[in-house]
Amino acid sequence: MLLFRSEETVDQWCAAHNIPRRPLVNLEQLWQLAVHWYANRLTVESRRPAPDEIVSIFASLGLTGPFWDPKKVDS
Amino acid sequence: MRADDLDTKVKLAIYALTAETGSIPNSSEVSRKVGIDESEVLAAFGRLHTKRLLLPEPGDPTRIRMAPPFSRIPTKFPVEANGKKYYANCVWDAYGIAAALHCDAVSRASDGHTGEPLTLEVKNGRPVLKPYLAHFAVPAAHWWDNLIFT
Repeated sequence: MLLFRSEETVDQWCAAHNIPRRPLVNLEQLWQLAVHWYANRLTVESRRPAPDEIVSIFASLGLTGPFWDPKKVDS
Repeated sequence: MRADDLDTKVKLAIYALTAETGSIPNSSEVSRKVGIDESEVLAAFGRLHTKRLLLPEPGDPTRIRMAPPFSRIPTKFPVEANGKKYYANCVWDAYGIAAALHCDAVSRASDGHTGEPLTLEVKNGRPVLKPYLAHFAVPAAHWWDNLIFT
């Protein structure tokens, strides 16, 4: 997952690597993802979210659809 | 000791040493920290990999490449926090280090295409928002197919 200044440089990177453009996430969404995934990582309670939890976390941030579903292997 | 309890001890030792030193420890260092045989640590590394909690170094099970959000090797996402320098695996993990350590952090990253310096910053538990974007090239179902690429 890479960082870009703008959609323009995302498109340039995708074209240069012959990779289709995929979803873009802004910094607020990215920070919320980081908190969900890692805020407890150094504690006994830490664990990786289950697939259904992952879908719920993404949906709470407006990230929906097969791309964000860890069970949709054909995405 | 039950395998789950051992795995938790090993995982906590990995993260404690990483947070303290800025470097992900190897199996020998974790063995000394936890006070168990290195062979038990290696078995725990394997189970934690199966649980998708760490990625061993390809070809060397005594070393860990990724203990997310931390990377053992330098990446394009260095993170300064708590007076130490860490490396994140990706842009998500750059914020992840600040979230995991619960501290302010600065990541002097760069645009994935142009290389232009782009700084990410966390202050007082919040990101300093800029109009930058993260591009997720790989669908969620395939992140662990090739985590180093993801």
